Amino acid sequence: MMRLPKFDYRTPRTIAEAVKIIGDVGPDAQFVAGGTDLYPNMKRRQQTPGTVISVMRLSELNKIDGDGKSGLTIGASVLLSDICDHTIIKRDYPVIASAARTISTPLLRNMGTIGGNLLLDTRCNYYDQNYEWRKAINFCLKKDGDVCWVAPGSSKCWAVQSSDLVPVMVAIGAKFRLISTLGERMIDAAGFYNDDGIDYLKKRPDELLADIHLPPTDGWRASYQKLRRRGAFDFPVLGVAAWIRCGTGSGSDRVADAKIVLGAIAPSPLDVSEAARELIGQPFDAEHIHAAAEACYVKARPLDNTDFVMNWRKQMAREYTLRALQELL
Amino acid sequence: MNLVGKPIPRKEGRKKVTGQALYVDDLSFPGMLHGVTVRSSVPRGRIKNISFDQPPATAGGSDRNIPWNEFTIVTAKDIRDLKLGENYVALILNDQPYLADEVVNHPEEAIVLLAHPDKYLLEEARRHVSIEYEELPAIFSLHDSLAQKEIIWGDDNVFKKFLVDKGNVDDVWAKADFIVEGEYETGAQEQLYIENNGAIALANPNDGVTVWGSMQCPYYVHKALIKLFGLPEEKIRVIQTETGGGFGGKEEYPSMIAGHAALLAWKSGLPVKMIYDRAEDMVATTKRHPSRTLHKTAVNKDGKLLAMEIDFVIDGGAYCTLSPVVLSRGTIHAAGPYFCPDVRIKSTAVATNLPPHGAFRGFGAPQSIFALERHLDKVAKTVGLTPEEFRRRNFIHEGETTATNQTIREKVDMDGLLNRAFELSDYHAKRERFARENGSDRPSRIRKGIGFASFMHGAGFTGSGEVYLQSVVGAEATPEGLIRILAASTEIGQGTNTIFAQIAADALGLGYDLFEVAQPDTAQVPNSGPTVASRTCMIVGKLVESAVVGLKQTLLGSGLLKDQYTQAEFQRACGDYIEKFGRLQSFSKYQPPPNILWDDEKYQGDAYGAFAWAVYVAEVSVDLLTYEAHVDDFVAVQEVGRVINPVLAAGQIEGGIAQAIGMTLYENVVWENGRMKNGQMTNYIMPTAADIPPIRVYFEENPYAYGPDGAKGIGELPMDGPAPAILNAIENATGESFNQIPLMPEKMMEDLVGQG
Ligand SMILES: Cc1cc2nc3c(=O)[nH]c(=O)nc-3n(C[C@H](O)[C@H](O)[C@H](O)COP(=O)(O)OP(=O)(O)OC[C@H]3O[C@@H](n4cnc5c(N)ncnc54)[C@H](O)[C@@H]3O)c2cc1C
Repeated sequence: MMRLPKFDYRTPRTIAEAVKIIGDVGPDAQFVAGGTDLYPNMKRRQQTPGTVISVMRLSELNKIDGDGKSGLTIGASVLLSDICDHTIIKRDYPVIASAARTISTPLLRNMGTIGGNLLLDTRCNYYDQNYEWRKAINFCLKKDGDVCWVAPGSSKCWAVQSSDLVPVMVAIGAKFRLISTLGERMIDAAGFYNDDGIDYLKKRPDELLADIHLPPTDGWRASYQKLRRRGAFDFPVLGVAAWIRCGTGSGSDRVADAKIVLGAIAPSPLDVSEAARELIGQPFDAEHIHAAAEACYVKARPLDNTDFVMNWRKQMAREYTLRALQELL
Repeated sequence: MNLVGKPIPRKEGRKKVTGQALYVDDLSFPGMLHGVTVRSSVPRGRIKNISFDQPPATAGGSDRNIPWNEFTIVTAKDIRDLKLGENYVALILNDQPYLADEVVNHPEEAIVLLAHPDKYLLEEARRHVSIEYEELPAIFSLHDSLAQKEIIWGDDNVFKKFLVDKGNVDDVWAKADFIVEGEYETGAQEQLYIENNGAIALANPNDGVTVWGSMQCPYYVHKALIKLFGLPEEKIRVIQTETGGGFGGKEEYPSMIAGHAALLAWKSGLPVKMIYDRAEDMVATTKRHPSRTLHKTAVNKDGKLLAMEIDFVIDGGAYCTLSPVVLSRGTIHAAGPYFCPDVRIKSTAVATNLPPHGAFRGFGAPQSIFALERHLDKVAKTVGLTPEEFRRRNFIHEGETTATNQTIREKVDMDGLLNRAFELSDYHAKRERFARENGSDRPSRIRKGIGFASFMHGAGFTGSGEVYLQSVVGAEATPEGLIRILAASTEIGQGTNTIFAQIAADALGLGYDLFEVAQPDTAQVPNSGPTVASRTCMIVGKLVESAVVGLKQTLLGSGLLKDQYTQAEFQRACGDYIEKFGRLQSFSKYQPPPNILWDDEKYQGDAYGAFAWAVYVAEVSVDLLTYEAHVDDFVAVQEVGRVINPVLAAGQIEGGIAQAIGMTLYENVVWENGRMKNGQMTNYIMPTAADIPPIRVYFEENPYAYGPDGAKGIGELPMDGPAPAILNAIENATGESFNQIPLMPEKMMEDLVGQG
C-alpha cells in the first residue's frame, strides 16, 4: 500500500507565523494547501518534506476582493470550486471560472486551491510513478537519478507544466504576491515560470504565495481550451489560453494586442509571440486566426512524456488555438 | 409468489451502501502483521544476489534505520527449508512459481515477501531490498514470440494450440467467387475492479492454513494452497470476504496473494494481511490477453459463406495461468453465430515476458468476435451487400451446425434480434442520413456513423468442463424454517445472492426473506465451481433450484409437510423435522443436459449447453480534426433465456458495454520493457460517466429448458459486441477501416493522414 511517510504537520494562523516556521525549519519544510498534488507525490516519494505547513487557516489567503473594474485579488487558499462558482469571477473573469471548471473532478476541486494549482509540480511519465517503478528504471533526473528518460543525454529536466490556470494567468497578465521573512514582492505570472522541470518556479522555497492579482477587464477578452482524453479527471496534455485586446476609436476593428500561451507541452508555459504577431494590427478574422494557429503549431514541440503521442499533441496545438481564438470572435 | 422476473432489491445491497459490509481490509486480527511483495525489476534474468540494505547515512526525511531482524522475510528458499509443498501456483500447467527461484520471467515477478507490524516501516524496508540480476534477452509481443525471436518458454514459446476442423476448407478456395482476407488486433485491458486484491492468512502446522480474501473462486485458492503447503484438503480453509468486483481479475490471482500471505503467516506464526494498492494491482496482476486474428473467407456471389479459415493467437504473458481456457473460448467463438459448411480454426497461446495475462470478462471471445465482426463488414462490402443483408444470409438457425459441429437445438432468431435492434436504433434512417450529410458538398468536420455486430456467447464451462467440475450446491433449513443456500459461488457485485434467493423462493413458493446465501467458506459450503464463464445463474442457479426442491421432498417424504402448504406450515415442518431427525439438508450435483457430447481431442461437438444471442448497434461521431471518436448512442438487444432480475440483468449489460467501450476507445496499456507504464487511474484512461452514451438495453425472452426458470448466462455477453459495432460505425462515418483496438485518436490520425 502506498503510504504517506511520517512528517510534522503545522497549522499556523497568521502569515507571519507561517513564513517564520518555514524560515526556521528550512529546506526540509514545504507548504501545503489542499494537498491534492503534494500528498500523492509524497506517497510516491517524489517529494519528501519532513515538515508540512498548512496554509488553509491563513484567513488572508481565503478571500476574494475587488471586481473587473478595479482588478481582482484572489487569496491563494481559495478553493477551486469556489472560483468556479464565484459571482464576480463568473461575470468579470469568465475565463478563470471556465478554466478552473476543467480541472480534475468536483471532489478534487473541493479540496484543491488556486494557489496550489499555480504552483503544481511539473509532471512526467517517468516521474509520476511510485517508488518501486522509478527504482526499476534507476530513477530519473528530476528525483534521485541522473538520466532524463524523455531525452537521454539532456542535462535539463523536461517534466511538463500541467496546470490549467497557469497559461490563463500568463495570458491575461496576472501578478502574484509572495511573502517571506525577508519581506514581500510582486511578480508577473509571465516571468514566474522557468523552462526547467526541476527548478520550475522563480519562487524560493521559503516564499509563501499570498494572493493572485488579476488586472482590470478594460477591453480584453480571453479564452482557454484544454485537450485531454476524457470528459473529466484528466490533466491537460495541451492547454491553449488566448487573450486579445481590440483597438479603440478608429482602430476598433483591429487587434491592438494579443497573447497566445500554450500550457502542458513544456516545463513552462509557452508564450507564442509569433502567433500574437499574426494578430496584432490586423482585423480579427478567420484568416488571421488561422495564421496564428499555424504559428502555434510550428512552435509547439511537445515531448513524449505525457499521455497521447507527441505528434498528435503538436497537431492539436493548431486545432486548439483555432478553437480558443474562434471563441473570442 | 413469482419473484423471478421482478426487480427484487439486492440481498446485500443495504449492507454495502450503509458501510456494514466487511471487505478484507476491514478485518483485523490480534497481533496481525502486514505483508508486502518485493518484485523483480527486469523482464527476464537470473537472480544473482538479494541484499537487505540500510538507507544511506545522509538520507533525510523519513528514512530511518531498518531493523531487519524484526522482519519476517520469505523467499523461494523458505518453501524448501520449511519443508512445505511445491513452489508453484497450481492451475493448469503449474509453471508459475509463488516466488521466483533463480530466474525471473517478467518485470513484476514476486521474489521476496516481507512482513512487519508497522506498515509504514514495511514500506521503507521494501525500498531497501536490492536484487541484482544477470539480464537475459526478453520478448514483449506475440509477433516476436511466434517468430521465436527468443525462446523464453518451453521449446517453442507455445502454451497451447487448438485446431477446429469442420469439413475441409482446402477444397473450397478454388470454387469461391470471392476470397476475403483480413488481420485484426486487440490490446490488453485492466479489469479495474473497485477493490484491489487482498488477503489475510493464518497458518501454522497445527491448525493448517486459513485465508480470508477478495476472490471469485474459493476452491481455486483452496486447490492452490493444498499444493503450496503440501497439506490435506481439510487443513486448508478459504473464506471469501465481501468482494468489490472481479471481472475475471480475481479468478486466478487470489491464489497468488493468498499463498504469499500464508507463507508469511506460516513463517511468522502470526496473522498476515496483504492488500495491494492500485498501482501494484494494476502493474502486477493479470489483464486481458492481447490478440491477433487472421481471417480468410470464401463466399459465393449470393453472399453465402463457403469457408472460413481463422488463425487466432493470444499473448499469455510469462506464465500459462488460464491461457489454454481463454484460448479455447476465443477459438470456439471465432466463427460466430453463422452457418458455414467448412471451417478451420487454428489457435495458439504464446509466451512473452509481460506479467501473465488472465481471465477477463468474455475470456477470449471478445477478442475473436471483434475480428470476425469487423471482417464480416469487409466481406459484405466485397460481395456488394449491406452488412446486415450479408449476415442475414448466413445466420445460423435451429438444426444447423456451428464451427465445432454443434447442432443448435434452440430456437435462434438472429433475424428477429437484428430487426428489433435496427428498429430501436432507427438504423436505416440514420445510415441514410449520415451518408447524405457526410457526403454533402460541405460536410461538417464531425462525421456521424452507425454500425452493428451480431454475436453469441456460450454459457458455462466449455465442452466437458461442467462434467469434470461436478459442481454441488446444498441447502439447509434452520429450526425456524429459514433456508440457507450453500454454494461456493461468490457474490462479487453481479447479484449472485439475490438471484439465488429468487430462484429458491420461487421453487418452493416461499418468501424471499426466508432465504439466505451462506458466505462462501470451503469449510462450510460444497464446491459449486468457480464464479466465471457466465455459469453462476444458469448452471449453479439450476443446482440451487434442485437443492431446495430436495428439502421439500424430504419434508414431504417424512409426512411432516403436505403437498399444499402455506409458508408458516413449511417453516413449522422444518422445525418438526429437525427436532425428530436432526439436520435438514439437501445437496444437488450437476447433471449435464441430455445429448451433450464433446470431443476434447478433436474439439468437436456440443461446446456449450446454451448460447445467449445478441445484436448491438453503436452510433458514433468522429471529429476529423482531433480524430476523437465518441459513442453517442447504444442499443443492445439480446436473448438470454428468461431474465431472473431485470434490474440486475440490465446492470450487467450496461456495465459490460461501458467496459467494452473502454476497451475500444480509451483503455490503452502502455508497456515499456514489459512493465506497465501507465499503471495509475490518472493515465490509464477508463471512461467516466461523462464519456458513456445512453445505453438502451432490451431482452427477448426464450426460456432455456435446462436453466433455472429458463435462464441462460449473461455476464460476459455484453463485452463481445461493442468493439466491432463501434469500429463498424467508425468505418461508416469515415470510410476508413480500422482493425485494431484500442483505437486511440493518434492511431486514427496516423491512418487517416497516412492515406493522404
Ligand atoms: C486525479 C487528479 C487530477 C487532477 N487534474 C488536474 C487538472 O486537470 N488540472 C490541473 O491543473 N490540476 C489537476 N490536478 C492537480 C491538483 O489537484 C490541482 O492542481 C490543485 O489545484 C492543487 O491544489 P492544492 O491546493 O491541492 O495543492 P497542494 O497539493 O496543497 O500544493 C501544491 C504545491 O503548491 C505548494 N503550495 C500550496 N499552497 C502554497 C502557498 N500558498 N504558498 C506556497 N506554496 C504553496 C505546495 O507546497 C505544493 O508544492 C489533479 C490532481 C489529481 C490528484
